[in-house]
Amino acid sequence: MSIIYVLIPIAMLFVLIAIGIFFWAVKSEQFDDLDRQSVSILFDDETQASKVSKDQQSTDSSKP
Amino acid sequence: MKHLDCFHCAEPVLTGTQFTTFINNEEQVMCCPGCQAVSAAIIDAGLTNYYKYRTEPGSKQNALVPEELSSFSAFDLPEVQQDFVHQSSNISSVSLSIDGITCAACAWLIEHKLKHVNGIVKIQVNTTTERALVSWQENTIQLSKILNHISAIGYQAAPYQVDEQEIKSKNNSRQFLLKLGLAGFATMQVMMFALALYAGYFTDLEVQYRDYFRWVSLIFAAPVVFYSAQPFYFSAIRSIFSGRLNMDVSVSIAILGAYIASCIATINENGEVYFESVSMFTFFLLLGRYFEQNARQKASVSSSNLHKLIPLTAHRVTENVTKEIPAKSLKIGDVILVKPGEVVSADGVITQGMSSINEAMLTGEQLPVSKGDRCEVYAGTINIEQPIHVQVTAVGQDQLVAEIIRLQESASNNKPKVALYVDSISNYFTWTILFVAVLTYVVWKIYWPEDAFWVTLSVLVATCPCALALATPTAVTCATGIFTRIGVIVRKPGVFEKLPKIQHVVFDKTGTLTCGELEINSAELFSAMNKQEALAIAAALEMSSLHPIARAFDSYRDHQISAHSTQSHIGLGLSGSVLGTHYKIGSAKFVNLTDSDDHAIYLHDTKHLIAKFILSDSIRSDAAKTVKTLLAQGNRVSIASGDTSTHVDEVADKIGITEVNKGLSPGDKLALIQQYQSQSNVAMFGDGINDAPVLAGANLSIAMGSGAAVTKSSADLILLGDQLSRFTDAVKVAKLTEKIIKQNLCWALGYNLFIIPLAVTGHVLPYVAALGMSASSLIVVGNSLRLLKVRL
Repeated sequence: MSIIYVLIPIAMLFVLIAIGIFFWAVKSEQFDDLDRQSVSILFDDETQASKVSKDQQSTDSSKP
Repeated sequence: MKHLDCFHCAEPVLTGTQFTTFINNEEQVMCCPGCQAVSAAIIDAGLTNYYKYRTEPGSKQNALVPEELSSFSAFDLPEVQQDFVHQSSNISSVSLSIDGITCAACAWLIEHKLKHVNGIVKIQVNTTTERALVSWQENTIQLSKILNHISAIGYQAAPYQVDEQEIKSKNNSRQFLLKLGLAGFATMQVMMFALALYAGYFTDLEVQYRDYFRWVSLIFAAPVVFYSAQPFYFSAIRSIFSGRLNMDVSVSIAILGAYIASCIATINENGEVYFESVSMFTFFLLLGRYFEQNARQKASVSSSNLHKLIPLTAHRVTENVTKEIPAKSLKIGDVILVKPGEVVSADGVITQGMSSINEAMLTGEQLPVSKGDRCEVYAGTINIEQPIHVQVTAVGQDQLVAEIIRLQESASNNKPKVALYVDSISNYFTWTILFVAVLTYVVWKIYWPEDAFWVTLSVLVATCPCALALATPTAVTCATGIFTRIGVIVRKPGVFEKLPKIQHVVFDKTGTLTCGELEINSAELFSAMNKQEALAIAAALEMSSLHPIARAFDSYRDHQISAHSTQSHIGLGLSGSVLGTHYKIGSAKFVNLTDSDDHAIYLHDTKHLIAKFILSDSIRSDAAKTVKTLLAQGNRVSIASGDTSTHVDEVADKIGITEVNKGLSPGDKLALIQQYQSQSNVAMFGDGINDAPVLAGANLSIAMGSGAAVTKSSADLILLGDQLSRFTDAVKVAKLTEKIIKQNLCWALGYNLFIIPLAVTGHVLPYVAALGMSASSLIVVGNSLRLLKVRL
């Protein structure tokens, strides 16, 4: 049972880290626009965007 | 014929396959050249993903007129920029409000389009507030170019000045979120140890572990008490200074009292601890306040996003030289040139030219007024037909718009104050608790001095007004949630007390009962031409005009037919040739007829009258149903309109309103409302800036989502989707909310009355106090949650 004297402080440390991350997230405006952030993973793909445009150009040029 | 929808904006395509864009290896049909140009710009920039991931269709595009694009150049003037552009070294940054954002894909589209533009350092688009933050290098690119880039992909951007109020409310909201999050984390931990301590009552928990758990709880509860609960302390201190105790006073005493007592118990290793109750209570209360604050902030952002009423620049004429200058540097006596389609930038009188002026933003009436030499024009109104010279007679705060805003502000200060239930209850409640606690302490001190402190504390803890404090906020939070879901935005507190008390509903006509847009009601033909042909010719002629009447013909356009050498005749109509024939279209006077119908438009060729079109302001589809429901609920319903024509009676007749007041000025309307108020509680619907003072004067005011910015900022409620029937739903929800608040208050007061005598006599066991406190709060929260299940 005396192990809790060690484990609980460790748990407290984790909570502190979690609170730190939460504060950072709020201060860096992560919660300002919930609609956008939830789908941004679908979009942010720089290389794919340019690839699509290249495909587009090639199909455009092959168009009669 | 197969019915096609535009690939970009999803509106029906009336032009066949005339406009197409090649997207993802397929020809997609567009409804108009505007949508085609925008979709082509999106594809050319390699942003095809927009069409893949968007969840809402884009907004319909009007073909961009070169003049419109060049109007952005005004934003490059340093005097104009100094109001909203921030500079540091070579980098400038500006906040833009953007029209036309429908979903997250739009934000992605704008960011990616601009990211690759040379000279742009940073761009960040926020879909919730429909705004963008742009930083750019001053010497590489100009602001007008950036705005051009955004408009090329179909969004209208304009710089705006973030007002102090908004920055403050944003900061506030962030502080609330930090406090709430911290309280949440800490509460979870404290509850965990509380569970172990409760279990310790029934099993053997060695004293050393019990004390250890208590110390850990003490540490976790500390940030909640000293950081998260701050808003309650500040509010309590303010109310003490103002001499009227509110709920936050007893909340603060309970939080601090219970925490200090628990600390003493922990240090002395005897007595009881209440760390979990303190944390949980604080968390619940903060949650309610956070939602309330958020809903209010959202409403203030959406109304301040609307573009400014008065333009930033003006064309000043000095000795026949025209120069574009910032509007704020205009002086009385200056002469300015206002081109057709432009907004007048200062109050003045016309010195040269004549034209029609659309004064809808002042009067709410869509039909323009003809004005000639020495006629007065007002800042914010729109010149429709011909260029005019205006001599400035008033600037800044002396202008009519500023006057109206002031009138509205003074009316809102006179608003009858509806006392909140909880405010008055909490005042008595807090005094009673304080009195009982002091009395308990004194009596116990005399007879059993060693127990005095603990019994007094147990009185404070057991009577902790958790349930009472939660009764209103939880119910209001749930109701606000439903309101947001149905598209009703609550702008001001107290709406939930006022809504159920409404007995008399007054509507402005234009823009509320009607859509504020003209449509062709019927067409009468006098020659061999069929209706479709006549309408197409009329539409071709009207195309060149900016007049609201012309917009009614828009949907009848045939792209094969166009008009040549069109001429506009101010206040009369248009003439021009279509397919080789010369036509005139306009009022009865214009085609030499004697007919007094204000809303009729005649099409005439060189010899004969061809057609008569009757125009009317279209009535909202749900107006009749809403009025019927309101009457059935026992409300009085009437119209207060600035319009003098018979159209008001027609509309009233169709919708079923018998009480009609017409031809009223904003002042008359306010007087009428005040007269009604002496008999009953009045709710007022409005949309124009002329309604702002009346809205501020009514017991409850409702603005339409499409209405003017000033109107919305003075209203209590905003109907976002412009659906009138949502109002009757809102009344229903508010009535239920009132009922639930009453139930909550009865329960909370009952519980407190029951527990006080037990606590005063020292009969409340510590775990009973904690249990009672939690249970009473949970019952209140659960009862409020019933609101979310309401069927509309």
